[in-house]
Amino acid sequence: MWMSLWSEGFMQRALLATVLSGVACSLIGVLIVTMRLSFIGVCISHAAFAGALVGLHMGISPLISSIATSLLAAGVLGPLADKGNLSPDTAIGVVFSASIALAFLLLALLPGPKSEALGWLWGNVLTVSRENLWLLGITAGVLTLLTLLFFKELQAVVFHRELAAASGLPATAVFYSVLMCSGVAITASLSAIGGLLVFSMVINPAATAYQFTYRLSRLFLLSVLFAVLAGWTGLALSALLNLPSGAMIVLVSTAMLLVAVSLSPKRRFGGGGTR
Amino acid sequence: MKPPACELREVWVAYGKTPALRGVSLQVEQGELLGLFGHNGAGKSTLLRTLLGLVSVQSGEVFVEGVPVHQRYPPHLRQRIGYVPQILRVDAGAPVSARDVVMMGQYAQIGWGRLPSWQHHEAANRALQAMGIAHLADKPFGHLSGGEQQRVLLARALAQSPRLLLMDEPTNSVDWQFVRDLRKLIREVHEANALTTIVVSHDAPFLAGLCDRVVLMEGGKTLAEMPASALLTWVGQEFV
Repeated sequence: MWMSLWSEGFMQRALLATVLSGVACSLIGVLIVTMRLSFIGVCISHAAFAGALVGLHMGISPLISSIATSLLAAGVLGPLADKGNLSPDTAIGVVFSASIALAFLLLALLPGPKSEALGWLWGNVLTVSRENLWLLGITAGVLTLLTLLFFKELQAVVFHRELAAASGLPATAVFYSVLMCSGVAITASLSAIGGLLVFSMVINPAATAYQFTYRLSRLFLLSVLFAVLAGWTGLALSALLNLPSGAMIVLVSTAMLLVAVSLSPKRRFGGGGTR
Repeated sequence: MKPPACELREVWVAYGKTPALRGVSLQVEQGELLGLFGHNGAGKSTLLRTLLGLVSVQSGEVFVEGVPVHQRYPPHLRQRIGYVPQILRVDAGAPVSARDVVMMGQYAQIGWGRLPSWQHHEAANRALQAMGIAHLADKPFGHLSGGEQQRVLLARALAQSPRLLLMDEPTNSVDWQFVRDLRKLIREVHEANALTTIVVSHDAPFLAGLCDRVVLMEGGKTLAEMPASALLTWVGQEFV
């Protein structure tokens, strides 16, 4: 019975969605964790949720409107931080509060049952559609290509944005592009697997990988590996124990992070702080 | 006749509404080793950031090797300016080695979507050796001491094959023994590579023993200029 589940179409789509969102979210997650922008996942997903509600109100595709608002939010973050002389984290807080306020307002104004709208924030990996898989696949492919093509520029900006700019790299354009790509990756994953899983897929695998390496290339590879491992283990446990799949994946990835922190060779050097 | 290595003409720069440079004019000849001396907030670091094109010029003109850079900074000029910043706040666990940091100085010259060639790796190796830190090349940057990080950043600037070297408070966060070594190191690098070098510091003895000429700054303006050998006397008269 348990083994036969794996041949079911919904389970195979869930396994594929876990791999694709694992690739998209963990690649972005490495940049988010190393640039200390962890809250951006929450911010963008609520902007996408507000966008989906705009779509439902206006009778247009919630997927398109959510991508538009998440890109708008991501596009506002960089200039707001730079022009307002704010830390990126503060700008994220401002955009997040505005997004969630807009989302609450639009949710209250939505006539009838709210389940379709809430499904955008709390999607289910077991009910992934073919359309969602295509979107995730394209997003994961494009992000992988961009990471390979612009690896050295990303490395320089992750290390020190101003120093990168001083040496002639377009550091601001690279930073803003990272924010925009975060918007696309999070929104593409959100509609497929839901907010809870997106947050964990963005942060946990990258933070887990961060415990084991001082090389950015290995950090990307390990992060993808941990995301897929957590996704598949969580799915297997949820099928075996008949428990919610999203919650199991999050708990597995959190457990992996805790084990990684306790085993991390970086603990000796105080790897989480600045010197 | 060669143009000056860099020149500012009546340059005004502000952070928000607070002016940081107030009509500064300065000319630095090619091959010169210039010190910028002044208290914190005098505008020294802003002057370097202006030469790097990292801040917007409100009015006035900035030239590098005779080319105006205050409106549009030609990339080839910026790539030939080596910059050693004041303090880098980097995670101890940051995923970069000393070699990565040195290589980064050349990334803009390599270009988008291209991998570094063996010449770029050779340039990084030579710079690491010149700074005496080849044995630290594969260590995480965040594990190095303040002095070692300064050497790595200097190697990074050197690997760029710069014509102009800008150093911002290089003696901050390093011990007095390294300050002595650093002075010798900067002199050697300056002469061996035929550079024009500008060093910002509030350490008068350091600049007096290092530079050819020193410009004094206060309140966003240049106050005076003198041979470096006269700096300690001037400081003594001002503060005693």
